[in-house]
Amino acid sequence: MANLDDFKTRLKIAKKKLINSSENKDNNRNSSSMGSAFKLSTDLVAHVAVGTIIGFILDSWFDTKPWLIIIFFFFGSIAGILNVIKTAKKMQEKE
Amino acid sequence: MATNPMHQFQVYRIGPEIKIAGIDLSFTNASLFMLISAVAICGLLFLGTKEKKIIPGKFQLISELFYNFIAKMINDTAGSKAKPYFPFIFSLFMFVLFCNMLGMLPYSFTVTSHIIVTLLMAIFIFVAVTVIGFLKHGFGYLKLFVPSGVPAVLLPLITVIEIISYLSRPVSLSVRLFANMMAGHTMLKVFGGFVISLGVLGGWLPLSFSVALTGLEILVAFLQAYVFAILTCIYLNDALNLHH
Repeated sequence: MANLDDFKTRLKIAKKKLINSSENKDNNRNSSSMGSAFKLSTDLVAHVAVGTIIGFILDSWFDTKPWLIIIFFFFGSIAGILNVIKTAKKMQEKE
Repeated sequence: MATNPMHQFQVYRIGPEIKIAGIDLSFTNASLFMLISAVAICGLLFLGTKEKKIIPGKFQLISELFYNFIAKMINDTAGSKAKPYFPFIFSLFMFVLFCNMLGMLPYSFTVTSHIIVTLLMAIFIFVAVTVIGFLKHGFGYLKLFVPSGVPAVLLPLITVIEIISYLSRPVSLSVRLFANMMAGHTMLKVFGGFVISLGVLGGWLPLSFSVALTGLEILVAFLQAYVFAILTCIYLNDALNLHH
């Protein structure tokens, strides 16, 4: 049974490690760097698209064509660029 | 017909036509491959957890590998508060991964290359995260749209931008997976078509490209499942631990 006791202590140590690692969030950077590259590229496009769609919907509600679609296109672009800056800052902090 | 690179994405009916209240509910090739991946996941995990040995066998090793991978990912990105959502994220990751990987087999159908499938999953995640956020924080969840430390003049502008950025989550989540899968599979088929049209003399170059692209596509299939799951964790983190 010595083998099993040994396993139990190792399990305890592993559990402690798991709790500690949740406190200080350290990501494994290897596979996530390509993932965040995918994230950034689509996020930029999606923000602009969603902004434009919101502008289009609001335009047809308030009958103000084409002003809101223009304004919200720029809002979407700003949101997309800000998001990229935010993500880049987060990535720099990690390093 | 078979040389058309978009032909592989066609959804067709298998078996009898089933119509309930005007909605077509027939069994299609898409449903078949969803079923296959669900059965494959259940089979793998059943085999992996059947014999619980201290020294794991092949299937147990794979299952434990997946379990550890997701558990660590949730812990790292969303903290220990997100533990109750482990089953959801685990099944989400496994389903997307198996759909992507099964799509890499010749003559198979890639479920995730259809935007309706990925958009439905993304909208479900979006609604679920929003509901969780409101349940945990009440109307305080709306603070997510009002970041602290912003001058009052800029606040309306920032709020609009934050709302756009929140609403674009399901769009970017679904479009990323769908576009990557569809583009990759179309590219493979196009290069395959080049091999046939260039023949024995010139076909070797696109053939070597095809081999390299297949490797890349397997990487992308895994990576997209990973990104899908990790972004769900990040959104969950926003809902559980309000930082703004």
